[in-house]
Amino acid sequence: MGIQTNGTNGKSWAQTYPELGTGPVPIEPCISPEYHTLERERIFKQVWLNVGRVEEIPKAGDYLVKNIAAGEASVLIVRGQDGTIRAFHNMCSHRGNKVVWDGDGTCRGVFACKFHGWSYNTEGRLIFVPDEDQFFDLDKTAHGLTPVAVDTWEGFIFINLAPQPKETLTEYLGELGEQLRGFPFGRYTTRKTYQTEAKVSWKVAADAFQEGYHVAFIHARSLPSYGPKENPLVHLPWVKLYRNHRRFSVDGNPKPKPTPIQTLVHKLGRSFDTMLSASTDDLPPYLNPGKVPNWSFDINVIFPNFFVDVLDGMYFTYHFWPLAVDRTLWEFRQYFPPATTVEQRFGQEYSKCLFRDALLEDLSTLEETQQALATRAKTHFLLQDNEVCIRHGHKVVEEYVGFYSGGGA
Amino acid sequence: MSQGVLPDQFADLEAFVADWSLAEERARNQKRLSSSMEELRTFYDAIFPRMEAILEYLRQFPLDTMPEEVRRLILLTLSLAEIAPAVEFFGQPGVIDGFESTRFVPGHEPRFSSVAGRRKHHGTWQQ
Repeated sequence: MGIQTNGTNGKSWAQTYPELGTGPVPIEPCISPEYHTLERERIFKQVWLNVGRVEEIPKAGDYLVKNIAAGEASVLIVRGQDGTIRAFHNMCSHRGNKVVWDGDGTCRGVFACKFHGWSYNTEGRLIFVPDEDQFFDLDKTAHGLTPVAVDTWEGFIFINLAPQPKETLTEYLGELGEQLRGFPFGRYTTRKTYQTEAKVSWKVAADAFQEGYHVAFIHARSLPSYGPKENPLVHLPWVKLYRNHRRFSVDGNPKPKPTPIQTLVHKLGRSFDTMLSASTDDLPPYLNPGKVPNWSFDINVIFPNFFVDVLDGMYFTYHFWPLAVDRTLWEFRQYFPPATTVEQRFGQEYSKCLFRDALLEDLSTLEETQQALATRAKTHFLLQDNEVCIRHGHKVVEEYVGFYSGGGA
Repeated sequence: MSQGVLPDQFADLEAFVADWSLAEERARNQKRLSSSMEELRTFYDAIFPRMEAILEYLRQFPLDTMPEEVRRLILLTLSLAEIAPAVEFFGQPGVIDGFESTRFVPGHEPRFSSVAGRRKHHGTWQQ
């Protein structure tokens, strides 16, 4: 039985990306503690990681703290008095206490360690040491907070835990970063967030959001009229694989069947379910790059753990933060244009609740899958042509890790 | 100014205020999950036919400052948004075979306040 054509170029995805092969993909990287140790060292301590958006720290002194287990680091990201965003290891130069304990806030220009009052300014300089005369040749200028590389792209703040990052953020994001430029991320400032900790590998979790094959099964109830009739099993109409990152589109139903509430919500503006339907609008160049008919949305996977999914009217992100080989902190954020009326907020609340319920369906399989993988009753995943993004993801991870080749990037 | 629990023209919905005018998404979700389908349908059937009128009425109020009885009415509409998937899709209060929603922790929820003022990291970032 031959594999049918997918996409618009008359080929299967396997023919478009022959370097990925078509063979089964090993399960071991999702259950092996040794593999995960290498992922920490060779991926999460080496590459650019998204930690938030500039709107989260709009004013001088605003800060965020990200505890990144897979990077074995606590990182303080702060906007300085000069407006510049800087990042530091959140560790006091004296005896190592975390300088900031809460997750976010605003400081008045100074971070004072709770342990002995050592104080740092927002540029990371050590500016005050109580009882300084009792130390031995203490040079305060040499003992500021340890900087962490930080840069922004389209308002997203990225850090890199490597003392000397191998490439700039712009180089790292490459073509994907260029193609998405212009999306109005900075205008969609109403955000709704969730997080959960699940007993699952970060890769198994991320894989659940990189194919449309599951939609007809997992979302049979919450998204019953998803996709066009001709594409009931959500074959991917467009896929672009980069060196590390990937981008793909899904198509939507041109004739959705709204429920009574959806019909009401549609009168208030675009909602999540309308955005999942086929878009007929003229779209700007950063959306629907493959000019897919009945386009619905684009999924942008920024290696290793950051998804930016863009729709015509909102966007949402996922972060998959490994806590252990089989534990993941999953962050989900929806971003809408600010509601200007109470009724728009009602519409957004419906979008949020429907989307949340669909995600509860998505997450339902993860822990069960991880438990089964750990039994080692089977050794490989079998992937079809429209699971090409999962295949690419595992390949890129292995290129960095080098578990099978003994090398690593 | 009305002194009622809800604005006068929506007094017929007052019986639902105690259970459903809840300020937090978590509380609304918990109420949904602890209700029977009959209770969810009763609330849905009572408020849904009034929604056009409610939304029309709410148009006159700015987003963040409103009388208390209007705030209660808005929170009722948010509870409708919460229970709609249960009534229209699942036919049971919770997501069928879903991940536990209590483990799915919301943050950064816009708050409706009957007084001016806001706390950092709640609601929109920018006005």
